[in-house]
Amino acid sequence: MDTKTGAVASKRNGATPLARPGRIRWAPGTTLAMLVVVVLLPVVLPSATLATEILIFAMAALACNLLLGYTGLLSFGQAIFFGAGAYCSALGMLHWQLGLFSALLLALGVGAVLALLVGLLCIRRKGIYFVMLTLALTQMAYFLAYTLSDWTGGDNGLLGVPRPPIALGDTTLVSLASPLAFYGLVAVLFAVIYIMARRITSSPFGSTLLAIRENEARAAALGYDIRLFKIMVFVLSGAITALAGALYAMLLNFAPLSNIELLMSEQILIMTIIGGTGSLFGSLLGAGSIVLLGDILSAIWPRWMLLLGVALIAVVIFMRGGLWGGLTSLLQRARRASSHDKEA
Amino acid sequence: MSVRTHTATFAITLLAGSLLATPLMAQDKPAIDFYGVKSVSGAFASYGKYAEMGSQLAVEEMQETLDREINYTTLDTEGNAGRAIRKVQEAINQEDARLFNGATLSSTALAIGKEVDKAGGVFMTPAGADELTGSECNAATFRWSVPTYGAIRETLVPLIEKLPDAKRWYTITPEYVFGEALLQNAEKVFEEYGLEHVGNSYHSLQEQEFSGYLTNAMSTSPDVLVLLNFGAQSSNALRQARNFGLNEQMDIVMVWSAGLDQLQELGADNVEGIYFGAQYWHEVDTPMNRHLVEKVKEAYDITPNYPLAADYIMTRTMLEAVDASGASEGPELIAALEGRTYQGPTGEETIRAADHQVIKDYYLLQGKGQAEMDDADDFADIISSGHSFVEEDKSVCQL
Amino acid sequence: MLNVYLFQVLNGLGLGMIYFLISVGLTLIFGLLNFVNFAHGAFFLLGSYLCYTLVTLTGNFWLALVAGPLVIAMLAWALERSLIQRIYHLPHTFQILVTLGIALIIQELSIMIWGPVGKSVPTPELLQGVVRFGNFAYPIYRLFLIAFSAGVAILLWLLLERTRFGALVRAGSESTEMVSLLGSNIFRLFSITFALGVGLAGLAGVLSAPLRGAHPFIGPEVLGLAFVVVVIGGMGSFSGALVAGLLVGVVQSLMTTLWPQGASLMIYAAMAVVILLRPYGLFGRA
Repeated sequence: MDTKTGAVASKRNGATPLARPGRIRWAPGTTLAMLVVVVLLPVVLPSATLATEILIFAMAALACNLLLGYTGLLSFGQAIFFGAGAYCSALGMLHWQLGLFSALLLALGVGAVLALLVGLLCIRRKGIYFVMLTLALTQMAYFLAYTLSDWTGGDNGLLGVPRPPIALGDTTLVSLASPLAFYGLVAVLFAVIYIMARRITSSPFGSTLLAIRENEARAAALGYDIRLFKIMVFVLSGAITALAGALYAMLLNFAPLSNIELLMSEQILIMTIIGGTGSLFGSLLGAGSIVLLGDILSAIWPRWMLLLGVALIAVVIFMRGGLWGGLTSLLQRARRASSHDKEA
Repeated sequence: MSVRTHTATFAITLLAGSLLATPLMAQDKPAIDFYGVKSVSGAFASYGKYAEMGSQLAVEEMQETLDREINYTTLDTEGNAGRAIRKVQEAINQEDARLFNGATLSSTALAIGKEVDKAGGVFMTPAGADELTGSECNAATFRWSVPTYGAIRETLVPLIEKLPDAKRWYTITPEYVFGEALLQNAEKVFEEYGLEHVGNSYHSLQEQEFSGYLTNAMSTSPDVLVLLNFGAQSSNALRQARNFGLNEQMDIVMVWSAGLDQLQELGADNVEGIYFGAQYWHEVDTPMNRHLVEKVKEAYDITPNYPLAADYIMTRTMLEAVDASGASEGPELIAALEGRTYQGPTGEETIRAADHQVIKDYYLLQGKGQAEMDDADDFADIISSGHSFVEEDKSVCQL
Repeated sequence: MLNVYLFQVLNGLGLGMIYFLISVGLTLIFGLLNFVNFAHGAFFLLGSYLCYTLVTLTGNFWLALVAGPLVIAMLAWALERSLIQRIYHLPHTFQILVTLGIALIIQELSIMIWGPVGKSVPTPELLQGVVRFGNFAYPIYRLFLIAFSAGVAILLWLLLERTRFGALVRAGSESTEMVSLLGSNIFRLFSITFALGVGLAGLAGVLSAPLRGAHPFIGPEVLGLAFVVVVIGGMGSFSGALVAGLLVGVVQSLMTTLWPQGASLMIYAAMAVVILLRPYGLFGRA
């Protein structure tokens, strides 16, 4: 009922399309590429721990992409879900001795419920008002997290988060203590989520989301319940982000307050955008390049974050599709060049 | 025995310039791999930059003094607790790293302590949280800086003696776990000395505007205003308190100042007449501190500040303990550190075995005006120093 | 006790004038250009640092007060011509990204130039000291700030309401096409407005320097506050920024006595409530 009054007071900011998602015919290709990357990552990188961090943030970026790239919703609220996922799974394991999968399920559930609430509030507004609303909610969540220091550890963070084994009843099947074993778990979860997201985005549901992004009024005129679709994406995105948060807490054995800071939202957004909005594989690229960039450059040049600023501007001005967009256009040019060669 | 070894190495350090490569020292000892966790980039760069200088200086010196190769690696926290811990885990798993020093943020330090403990290494930190050598203490974690208990007692008690007419005290506290710890200790001191705690203002984690809190303080007409916040927040609280002319109506004490770099940031005009609690001050007259000031001047052409001095002495102490014990990890090294007494920048410092807290002095400084400064960094005089620690048997730490 | 509340209200009004100054540039740019500037806090930061450098070099605060905002406005002009112009037509999302990038660059450059440790700026000699009211004291510099900000508010109001430039800006906020049809160079108008809005952020930074010093990480906090004020007042509304600035100042000041921990929660909660109940703010037009 609010969709009409919520229209952005914008003259020029109608629904200019964001980067278009990777074409459908690329779909099996990128899934395969994703699997290859996931398998190679711990081999190529100096450590499985680093690879795990990349996949966790790729998961969060992918969830953010569902909102931004496929539905056109720029949310500064992702930290709420990431932080809540970390805190809830950690508290579940610490206080109720939850096992691995129950803790992860708890994170998924909490993320979904929170996203439902945040989504219900935020989708009442559009454009800049939507953005500001998510920003305000994140600030409030942060406040809550440090005020409830008996639960969250406040500014000291929540310490001693366990990393339970994969177990059946009381029998341990696989210990996840070693970095590589834990990477295995994260990799499988990431691959499952990736493939699931791929299926969703190429289903009729996904096409509807794109239609909403391209032209909301038209989608509404065609009879789609836009609010329902937006809320469903929110819930999906929130659940995945919370799962990433829970895995991050297990990786670090620690849930710092910074998980739920506005800066975390910003970081996830930057990864999504630099990787390429509207491309799931782009999210993997974005998370990977930014984590690696920080890892390599911070040792050489303490002011390396300046480059992130430059990259953000460059993406908008020259390479709207982010790294993924740049990569595909390069590939296309190469293909065109080679077909020219054949003709000649 | 460790004490004797230490005095020997210390004497050699002082003579290092003239007695290079003493033949007696030349042994084929394995190289030491040492890791500095420093916030070089990101939001805590103001700390990490100097901490890094301190560790590097110590490594260079020890390389010569111990006549032993030391591989020093910096792990940049990027101002981010998660990144810091991931990098520490990586170093532990990939490079068998066991010796760590640093971490600015309490949260980061607490979490690193847990990781290093699991790996059987040693971690020494200057971070502020009481939990490091309190409720979250562990065998691997050692902490150089004085906890909130001592910081409060070594600033407030001498101040109470200096200002016998000051009966009404007002506190401004950040709503951190850390701020709460300072406040509780302050309240105990007020009670013990029969002083009136006329009020407290909590403020949020992000606050930079203090006029409202200062107005609260004014309304109670206190004799002393006690600032229990730190970093940029305490700088702003002090600037604004001066702005409101509070320094003319009452004495102001900043219990947990960062020391020199903060006083430099504030400038002589803001500092004059204000009391500051500090972990370190470059004008302390001890052999090790004279040595440090001289070396830092030589190497970097600056005056050492708290982060530099803290990470210098911790790096140095750890390396000396490694060399003396012949162990670079585990119980042997921990045993070598426990009870160790050495010459630190604040004088003789001892690592208490019960909770791994370094027993050292805390300082009460008073800022002086531009006219009385002997040099550009002579912002304050030490008006009192000493150490107060919760007694071993009352410590919540169970090692 | 009543005294405290009275004085908190007075202090809040003073604070509110500073908040107005911090946010008026943001709302001006949004009003005419429909442009979301996430680098607003970074320009504030730059203003504080320029103030520090100029005062250190010349010892003259008044010079910094004039030159600081001018330099920043010129910088903004150049930035608008080279970069911002290209993204006016893009959705807010992209504007946010580009200005977020600019903010990061300014922040890191500031650390490179001025170092990671903050700087202090002395209160100008003429404005040192306090005015006393019984137990309470109020700094002369803050009184000056209130008067100065009020002056800026009046000048801006005259500019917007009484000059041809103002008429064009107001017309442009309604419809850019109309202004172009009237034969005015809309691009020049945009450049000037952008430079003016950013210059005002710089001015706020210069004026805040004696209160808060200059610190490389104040940008995001200032930006957050400016958005709260602008959203509550109504995005693009001049009078809204003034009233909301004062409102936020007074509420925040009273909160420090009533429930200090909640001060920052309160202002963000207020922003969320306003967006949900009155999306165009207290003074904005639908």
